[in-house]
Amino acid sequence: MADLRINLAGIKSPNPFWLASAPPTNSGYQVQRAFEAGWGGAVWKTLGDPILNVSSRFAAISFNGQRVAGFNNIELITDRPLEVNLKEIYETKKRFPNHAIIASLMVEPKQEKWHEIVKRVEDVGVDGLELNFGCPHGMAERGMGSASGQVPALVERQTYWVKEVAKTPVIVKLTPNITDITATAEAACNGGADAISMINTINSLMGVDLDTWNTIPHVAGKGAHGGYCGPAVKPIALNMVAECARHPHINVPISGIGGISNWQDAVEFMLMGATGVQVCTAAMHHGFRIVEDMIEGLSNYLDSKGISTVSEIIGKSVPKYSDWGNLDLNYNIVAKINTDVCINCNKCHIACEDTSHQCIDMLTDTNGKSYLKVREEDCVGCNLCSIVCPVDGAIDMIEVPSELPVMTWNERQAALKVAADCKVDVTK
Amino acid sequence: MSEYQQFQDERDKIDFFIGKGYRINGVNEHLNGATVDFLHPNGNVTETLLIGTANGRKYFSSLLIKQNQGK
Repeated sequence: MADLRINLAGIKSPNPFWLASAPPTNSGYQVQRAFEAGWGGAVWKTLGDPILNVSSRFAAISFNGQRVAGFNNIELITDRPLEVNLKEIYETKKRFPNHAIIASLMVEPKQEKWHEIVKRVEDVGVDGLELNFGCPHGMAERGMGSASGQVPALVERQTYWVKEVAKTPVIVKLTPNITDITATAEAACNGGADAISMINTINSLMGVDLDTWNTIPHVAGKGAHGGYCGPAVKPIALNMVAECARHPHINVPISGIGGISNWQDAVEFMLMGATGVQVCTAAMHHGFRIVEDMIEGLSNYLDSKGISTVSEIIGKSVPKYSDWGNLDLNYNIVAKINTDVCINCNKCHIACEDTSHQCIDMLTDTNGKSYLKVREEDCVGCNLCSIVCPVDGAIDMIEVPSELPVMTWNERQAALKVAADCKVDVTK
Repeated sequence: MSEYQQFQDERDKIDFFIGKGYRINGVNEHLNGATVDFLHPNGNVTETLLIGTANGRKYFSSLLIKQNQGK
């Protein structure tokens, strides 16, 4: 069995699966139950001046039968006194000394506020700190959370203040509600962050009730934007992790967060540069015991690949992620329809004919049987037919060897520049 | 004419000039594609092609890179 232990900037845990700072880590009772179930770490629900919450806090989108494809919340940070949380953190750490407990923190952007809370939480034995610069609702209106996290100078300054007194590793949690997350990630590094985590939730309004015209959720007829998470945000989160992982000035470990629901998602994040992952929505949907499948699946995957430690996969796909300008313009794939598997539903033909490149013909063979065929010379390899096809294995995307050498957009533009510089003037 | 046939037509014209020893002497990209100037080996005759298809523009670009590498 592969070794699943990780070490994220000095924070050790028995496996890469941590619970994210959120409702599942609200109390010692919950975190201890999570550790009993197998979670390797937990980021405690954000500590700060205890807040007041509203009733009616969550909403979810179900899509084509999948419950909780996306999840939204307008709950704030902890509403319990700091002393109560600290006592439970101490007791939990005492019971589970080998599990990682990270304290998520959020206070006003004042040096003395950060110094005070850092010292108090470290006194009870946390393994690390996570600075919450990401919460997009409620706290942001008070200058905290994503309001801080959207300003690189504030991220850097507050990280620096924390590092002035912190004795444990400092993780900076970043907001995705920003054009370029590498700007704030770099600011965190400049402030001395030992690691970064991403993504926090995305600004969202889940819906409007067609009968009452109320927002979903609503609080006595009024709504406010919430934070979106769950499986729907995974591609956004994965891109942000990858962008940070490949950035030359961001050289700290990454804790990946955003829609991670199973071991496969976790592997994807780790391949794209995450040292470990944090999970919330999946646990809220299915309970703490989903971690059993995550651990078993990850372990089997590593064994099947002949990999002895999970840390070996960290970042292995990062070199494969680049800018569009570095992609080979002469690489070609085309669709191939396997007529023995195809059920002739014609979805591929409709999609191609209406919205793509009109290269799938509906034909009839000599026996009068209908079949679909791709005109490969007109196929641009867009993948749409295989995406809309309801039958696995009915459409394969096949590589077509190119007669032309590799040519990227950047190489092409450079060649055009050379040609312009060397142009011979000729009068006809 | 299908786009593929259009590309084949453009490629054949490009190959015709390259086969006669012409070199790509200039490329002007615009909203209708690219105008490519070819220079005869004797240096005093130019020919011009309008290349509109995406594959055609990839094709002459690949030849141009090869041509630059041969300098």
